[in-house]
Amino acid sequence: MIGRIAGCVVLTLVFTAPLRLEAHHSAVMFDDQKEVTVEGTVKEFQYTNPHSWLLVDVTNKDGSVTTWGFEAEGPTTLLRNGVRPGDLKFGTKLTVTGHPMKDGRPGALWMKAVRDDGKEFYPAGRPRGAQ
Amino acid sequence: MAIRCLVRPLLFALVFVSAATAASAQANRQSAEEFRRMLAMGTKSRSASELYAALKMAAPGGGRQTPPFAQLPDWSGLWTASGGGNFFSPGPGGTAPKLTAAAQSALKQGADNQSKGIEYDENLSQCGPPGYPRWLVIPFLREFIVRPEETWLTSETVNNVRRVYTDGRDHPPVDERYPLYYGDSIGFWDGPKLVIHTNQLMERSMGRNQPTQSDKMETVEVWQSVNATTIKADVWIFDPALYTEPWYVQRLYTKVPNEDKSLRVRYWNCNENPNNDVVKTSNGSTNYKDFTFDDKPKEPAK
Repeated sequence: MIGRIAGCVVLTLVFTAPLRLEAHHSAVMFDDQKEVTVEGTVKEFQYTNPHSWLLVDVTNKDGSVTTWGFEAEGPTTLLRNGVRPGDLKFGTKLTVTGHPMKDGRPGALWMKAVRDDGKEFYPAGRPRGAQ
Repeated sequence: MAIRCLVRPLLFALVFVSAATAASAQANRQSAEEFRRMLAMGTKSRSASELYAALKMAAPGGGRQTPPFAQLPDWSGLWTASGGGNFFSPGPGGTAPKLTAAAQSALKQGADNQSKGIEYDENLSQCGPPGYPRWLVIPFLREFIVRPEETWLTSETVNNVRRVYTDGRDHPPVDERYPLYYGDSIGFWDGPKLVIHTNQLMERSMGRNQPTQSDKMETVEVWQSVNATTIKADVWIFDPALYTEPWYVQRLYTKVPNEDKSLRVRYWNCNENPNNDVVKTSNGSTNYKDFTFDDKPKEPAK
């Protein structure tokens, strides 16, 4: 499964390190040189300290489902960046982008989400140049 | 499967982010002349206690204890760290801290680890407190509760509170002292400036891949408003395990916009979500434990 997804993971060399704050733990488990983007539906939005997790069910080509976890900072950082718990309810269709885990598990450091109505969410703040 | 691959032109973003960061740092940057003058206040003092005593003597009336509430600054609202000096990097004008051999060695080891992507937080990974003086640089929300007899300098990270007693009490007797994450802080008011002396600190890491502070560390801080949305803290750090001469940093704190007052500090419980549990790996770095969400695909329906 991971191999199939990895085939679609963009191994893009990015030139900006994530603006990761000195939070609860290091972010070295994520590969800040790569991005992964998935489309799916919200399984659960764990709006918790010290980190939040957006769990997204992604249907693979063979019909199986993989749950991806996207990690962000805690609630007050999300609120300051306009990501409210009620914005991403169970079943919401969306596209999510993040820096994937180095060990291949379906987890990523959450960078951006686009809801199916077009609304964009940047849990670490909207990067300069983003529309 | 509906996975879509995207390539994003983040080089463009880099240019903007770098420019914005540089502009912000420049706006807040202390002048080299002021930095040298403030640093010298520490280096000409034999100890933090001596510097604190000198500041107290220089304050009108020998410093105010338990001043009327109306004479205290309004530091209400939410604040967050917004830059300033570093514990181990040169200050404005390029003046570098005079480090002990042990601190230099630790910094080199830390840089080596960093270059290999090895990073573990001895304090925070298992949700221990960041401690002081690291408290000065941690992110997220802060509240400063100012009372005549006592000021609380708080941060939402691990629900920490620094209590600064300004009612005239001294530090505890020597026989009653023991190492503390945030030390023991006493202070006085010099007009609108809060002057703090902290001792009884714990020997522990200053941060990821950073040297270890000793239980001999003592500091002096002077907190004051710069304007309605900025507070600065001038901090002198005395620690013979780290520095051969006292070091000085200025840290800045910016008020967080919160017009509708909906943003509030909430309790941190690191055990709330098991997906946040991390382990120290065999090479000394950090990784997550098992996740609660599936890490393998579910079989399609037959």
